[in-house]
Amino acid sequence: MRIALMNGSPKSGGSSASSSLLADLKPRLSGEVDAIEIGLHGPAVSQEQLEALGNTDAWVFSCPLYVDGLPAHLLSCLVQLEQAGWQHRGIRIYGIVNCGFYEGIQAESALALLRNWCAKAGFVWCGGIGVGGGGGLGQMPEARNGHGPKGPIDKALVELADKILRCETQENVYVSVAFPRFLYKAAAQMGWRWTIKANGGKAKDLGKQPD
Amino acid sequence: MKLIITDVNPFNLSVEGDYKVIKPQGAIHHCVGCFGCWVKTPGKCVIHDGYEGTGIVMGRCTELILVSRCCYGSVSPFVKTVQDRAISYIHPDFVLRKGEMHHKRRYQNTLSLSAHFYGEAITEDEKETARNLIAANADNYDGVVKDVCFYGTKEELERVVL
Repeated sequence: MRIALMNGSPKSGGSSASSSLLADLKPRLSGEVDAIEIGLHGPAVSQEQLEALGNTDAWVFSCPLYVDGLPAHLLSCLVQLEQAGWQHRGIRIYGIVNCGFYEGIQAESALALLRNWCAKAGFVWCGGIGVGGGGGLGQMPEARNGHGPKGPIDKALVELADKILRCETQENVYVSVAFPRFLYKAAAQMGWRWTIKANGGKAKDLGKQPD
Repeated sequence: MKLIITDVNPFNLSVEGDYKVIKPQGAIHHCVGCFGCWVKTPGKCVIHDGYEGTGIVMGRCTELILVSRCCYGSVSPFVKTVQDRAISYIHPDFVLRKGEMHHKRRYQNTLSLSAHFYGEAITEDEKETARNLIAANADNYDGVVKDVCFYGTKEELERVVL
């Protein structure tokens, strides 16, 4: 089985939550699997990437939630992929959408967009995961046996990998970090203050209203 | 003032009252997720391509009107790029609204949000997704939904008065 891990973050390199989620999924795809990595960091899919996707069985998109939907550059790639001349249209599509909000359910519409795209393009929508608390994933320790702040996400990834390997469909699953919401909110807000100061600004500048 | 973000170019729809139109004029760069508009130049995108001030304009308008081809239930890549580049309209801090986490306001204006989607063969699933997306946008902007409409062709759309 040949699986394409489609990184839909605009950030190249391995620092994004989307990248981290694919990195956590990949070792779960064991057995006779050839997993290739496709970085969709800009608004176009390269010819080389199109050729690599030509003989795949399943694609797993991982991307951040942008303004309640898919990032614009990824939307642009989807339009291109819909219009590309695929000989084999039965490719199974899975999605992982992470958001900075605590509630994974806020990724529901973005997953629906992937489903609708599959219907238009002739691909097979097989479900996905909406991940809340994506802003903190990079700072959290690895889940161990399903425990720790990333435990619920790890469990959802294990189940998704199982569905992918069995060529099965799942209902969308919505998860969040195992971390209290008020602490997540406080940590995020401290992070913004720390970052603006590191950039030479002041905490009060976060609310600036420029002319 | 009404702010219209559209992929229709030339834009020849009738509009009542004061308005500003953001439409494709030169290349637009996609949001790179740097959060510079929150932590480097708060309120303004750091990519200088003529679209960096959309968040500021949103803070001055009463109505936000999206006029766009429907892409799987979303606005088109151009309109979405403008939206993605304008997250500086809101503040990075979080608040709880309707039991969910959203962003705090930067400005005091309440946006009334309308969307006019055009395209052949827009499916019922796409329409439902589009309505949900616009409702979610309104929640995150702390605004209200005024209208979500669908048109089979661009010509049909051009008969509308915004």
